[in-house]
Amino acid sequence: MKLEGTYRFNTAQEKVWEVLTNPKHLEKAIPGCEKLEEIEPGKYDATLKIGIAAIKGTYKGMAEVADPQPPDKYRLVVEGGGSPGFVKGEALIELSYQDQRTIVSYQGEGQVGGLIAGVGQRLISGIAKMMLGQFFKQIGKELKSL
Amino acid sequence: MSKEKGQSKWVGKSYPAKEILRYVRGRGEYIDDVKLPNMLHAADLRSPYAHARIKNIDADKALKLKGVKGVLLGHEIPDISNSFPAAGVSPKLKFYSMAVDKVRYMGEPVATVIAKNRYVAEDALDLIHVEYEPLPAVVDQEKALEEDAPILHEELGTNLINHRVLHWGDVDKVFREADVTVEDRFVFHSYAGTPIENFGVIAKFDPGEDFLTLWANFVGPFSLYFLLAMALRMRENKIRFIVPRDIGGSFGIKCGIFVDIVRIALVAKKYGRAVKWIQDRREHMVGGGRHSGRISYVKMAATKDGIITGIDEKWYEDVGAYMRAPEPACMYRPSGNYVGGYSFKDLRVDANAVALNKLESAPYRGYGCHLVYFNHERILDMLARKLDMDPVEIRMKNLINKDQFPYETPTGATYDSGDYKACLRKAVELFEYEKMRKMQKQAKKDGRLIGIGVAAGVDPSVSNMAYITVAYTPEERAEASYLPKSGGGETAFVKVDPSGTITVSMGTCQSGQSHESTIAQVVADEFGVSPAEVTVIDQMDTATHPFCVSTGSYSSRFASVATSAAALAARKVKEKMVKIAAHVLEASPEDIMAADGKFFVKGSPDISLSMKRVAGTAHWDPGSLPSGMEVGLSTQETFNFETSKTITADDKVNSSNTYGFMVDIAAVEVDPNTGKVDLLKYTTVHDVGTVLNPKFLEGQIYGAITQSIGGVFYEDYAYDENGQMVAASFADYLCPTAKEAPKKLDIGHVETPSPLTVLGSKGGAESSNETCPAALANAVEDALLPLDVTINELPLTPNKIWQLIQEAKEQK
Repeated sequence: MKLEGTYRFNTAQEKVWEVLTNPKHLEKAIPGCEKLEEIEPGKYDATLKIGIAAIKGTYKGMAEVADPQPPDKYRLVVEGGGSPGFVKGEALIELSYQDQRTIVSYQGEGQVGGLIAGVGQRLISGIAKMMLGQFFKQIGKELKSL
Repeated sequence: MSKEKGQSKWVGKSYPAKEILRYVRGRGEYIDDVKLPNMLHAADLRSPYAHARIKNIDADKALKLKGVKGVLLGHEIPDISNSFPAAGVSPKLKFYSMAVDKVRYMGEPVATVIAKNRYVAEDALDLIHVEYEPLPAVVDQEKALEEDAPILHEELGTNLINHRVLHWGDVDKVFREADVTVEDRFVFHSYAGTPIENFGVIAKFDPGEDFLTLWANFVGPFSLYFLLAMALRMRENKIRFIVPRDIGGSFGIKCGIFVDIVRIALVAKKYGRAVKWIQDRREHMVGGGRHSGRISYVKMAATKDGIITGIDEKWYEDVGAYMRAPEPACMYRPSGNYVGGYSFKDLRVDANAVALNKLESAPYRGYGCHLVYFNHERILDMLARKLDMDPVEIRMKNLINKDQFPYETPTGATYDSGDYKACLRKAVELFEYEKMRKMQKQAKKDGRLIGIGVAAGVDPSVSNMAYITVAYTPEERAEASYLPKSGGGETAFVKVDPSGTITVSMGTCQSGQSHESTIAQVVADEFGVSPAEVTVIDQMDTATHPFCVSTGSYSSRFASVATSAAALAARKVKEKMVKIAAHVLEASPEDIMAADGKFFVKGSPDISLSMKRVAGTAHWDPGSLPSGMEVGLSTQETFNFETSKTITADDKVNSSNTYGFMVDIAAVEVDPNTGKVDLLKYTTVHDVGTVLNPKFLEGQIYGAITQSIGGVFYEDYAYDENGQMVAASFADYLCPTAKEAPKKLDIGHVETPSPLTVLGSKGGAESSNETCPAALANAVEDALLPLDVTINELPLTPNKIWQLIQEAKEQK
C-alpha cells in the first residue's frame, strides 16, 4: 500500500531533523516500539508490539535511517516479523523550511504479510494511516521537549 | 436397462431424508469426533511469504516446550516420501506435503509440531524461528509468462507447467470462410466451496506391524488413495483408510486432502504415534483448495444467419504454486462436452497451466465447466448482438436436435440422451420470456436498467478416468512407460439377513447429499419394501468395503453410477430370493412377484411367502435350496460404463458417461449509482434423466445457484500483488447469506432417461454451477447495454460495475 503525506512543525529544520533521525526519539515515536538497539550507526534492532484486527503480536526486526542527507532527506526503513506475520515499510522523508515552519513530507510503501494480511485486510490501510498519525504526533511532542 | 415408468413406488418420489434427523440432533459423526487413546495433536507453521527461500529453521526451543512430543521439518521430507506426480507435468517439478527449501505460496506449511493438545502445539509454533529470504512474487498468469517473471520451479525454468493445443476439425479454414467473427478477452476469477467443515486427518502408525491407519473426511476419487500410498512409499495393503460416516460439505474441495494426509502420516510414522490434525478456517482459506481462475482469448466464427461454425480459444490458467491432482483437470475434465449443446464441429483450445504464488487449485462444483460455458455463452451473446438476433433465437438455431442422440461430439464424447430444444422452450415458457422483454422495454423508458441473460450447457457426470490423460501429449501417451486410463465405476454390497432385513453397504463418502435415503429408495423399489426398512451404511473403509479406483463423490456420479450399482446388487439378491420362493411354492420363477415385503404367485396373492420366510430358508435351511445355489443372501456388484474407454491418438475421449442439460434464464436490475445488482427473476430447466427424488434435486439446484450468485457478485479468492491472500476469513471472503440467496426459483424439468444407467438417472448436482455465472453476466451486460458497457471480467462487485459505468461515460 502507498503511504504519503505532509506534516508541519513550528520548529527549525535542524531540530526536526535531529528528532526524526535520533534513535532516542524514534524509539518513542514509532508506534508499538519497545526498544531500538544500535547495531551500527543508522541501523537498529527493533522490537515492536502492534495490534491489528484484534491480533496483537510482537515483531522483531530492524529500523534504519538510510542515505541521510542532513538536514534535508533520508530513507526510513522498518521491518519486523513475528507469529502474526511480517510488516515492512520504507519511506523517503524530505524536509524543507518555509514561512518559518519546517515541512516534512513522506512518500513510501508499506507491506503486510502472513496472518494479519489474511484476516485484517480491510483494516490495514486505516491502521497504517493511524500509526503514521501517531508517529508524527509523538515527533511533535519530542520537539516540544527539546 | 431403465425401469419402465409407473413401476417405481419410491424412486421419483420426494421421500424425506432420514439422515437429517441425526444432523439436527447433533448426532452426526465427523472426523473431529474420532478420538483414539494416546492421540497427539498437530499444528502447522505456515509461511507468511508468498515466495521465499528457507535459509534456516530452528525448532530447538519448540521441542523443549512442555507437552511437545516432536516436530517434522521440510528438509526431512524428500528422504521419507515421494513427490506427488500430476498428469502432463514434468517430474522435475517437485511437490511435497511440506515446503522443502523454498516456499511458493503464502500459507504453505514449513513445519509440523505434535503435542499433547492443539493449544500447546500452537504455542510451540511461536517458538520456531524460520529465516526466510523473500523473493519477488507473481500472481498474474500473463505476467508469469513474461521474460523477467520470477520462476517458481527453477528446475523447470518456466512457469508454464502444462500446455496442450487441442484441435478438432479445421478451425483456421472455418475462420477464413466465416461470414462473421467475434472475439474478446475474458477473465474469470477464482472462488471456492467453503465447506462448513474443514479438512481433518488422523494418522496412526503402528511401528510393530509397520501398519498405517488413516481417518480423513476425504471424498474420493480413490485413485488418490493409491497416490498417497505411493507418496508414503508404502504398499496399499499396509494402509487402512477410513472415512467417517458424516462429512460437513465438500463440493469437490475435499478431493485435495490427500496432501495433508501424507504430511500428518509422515509425522505419525516418524514418532510411531496416533496424530490428529483439524484444520481451522484460516488454514483452510490459505491452504485448503479453490477453483482455478482463467484468462481467455476467445474467437467465434459463424454464418450470417447465426450458425456457429467454430471456436478458437487460448486459456491461461491460474493453477497455483503446484499441480495438485487431479489438476490440470480444471482445463480438461469437460473436454468431451467443450461444444456444450451446440452442433458446431471445429474447435481449437490452446490450454496453458501457469504456476503462480498462490494456493494450488482444486476441483470445485461445476469443475471446469463454468469456465468453458462462461467463454462460450458470453461470446455467443456478443455474436447475437452483432447479428441483431435474440439470444434465445440464436441458441435454438444451434442446439443439437433430439433425433441425433446418442450424439458424438467432435471432441470424442457420446451424449447418451437429451432434448435440448425442449429444455430451452420450457425455460422460455416458465420465465415468461416475451412478457419479461416487454417489461424490460417499458422499464428502459422509465430509466431503469433491467437485463435478461440466457445460458445453456451440457452437464457431464460420472467422469471417465481417461479424461486425466488429455493433459498428456499424444507423443507422451505413445511412450512405453505410459499406462492408459479408463473407467468410471462404483461398487455396492447388499445383503438380506436371516430375518429378512436388508442392509446396503457403500463407500460413496457422502457430505450432505442424502445418499443413504436415496439408496434406501432405490433398493426398496427392487425388493418391494418401504425405504424405512432398508439400512444403508455409506461409510468408506478400504479394508472392509468394496471399492474401485474411481470410488467417491465427485463429478456428480452418485445419482447415476452409485444408484446403478446398488440397484444391480439388490436386483441380484432379489432374483435369488425369487428363485427360492419359486422353489418352495413349486412355481416357476417368472410367475413370482415381490411387493409389500412378500413374494407371491402372480394372480394368486394368497400363495405367498414373507421376506422373512424366504431369507430364513436361505440362511437356516440351505439344504433345502435348489441344487447348486450358494448359501446366504448377499452380493457385491460393481457397475462400470461400457462407454468409458481410453483416449484416442487425436485427443478424442468420452470424458464423462452421462450427460444432462440445463438452461438458465436470469433477469437483473442494475443500480447505476451504486453498481449493485438485484436478481429479479431466475428460471432454470434441468434434464437429469430419471429424477430419483425431486426434493433432493430441488435442494441441489438452490444450492448451485446460490453458490454461483456468491461467486459472481461477492466471493473473490483474492491475492494482492505480493501474493498475500487477503480474504482468509469470512469477514473478507463474502459467502452469500440468506439475504443474498434467491428468494424464489422457477425450476422446470425435462426427463430424457439415460440408456446407460440402471434407473435412467444422470448426475444433477453441479448443473447450474456451470451455467449460472454465464447467465448472470449475460443479464448484467444486457442491463448495461444503453451505457455501452461490456462485461468480460468477474467478479461483478458493485465497485467494478460502477467503475465500468464511469469508464464508459468518459469514453463517450
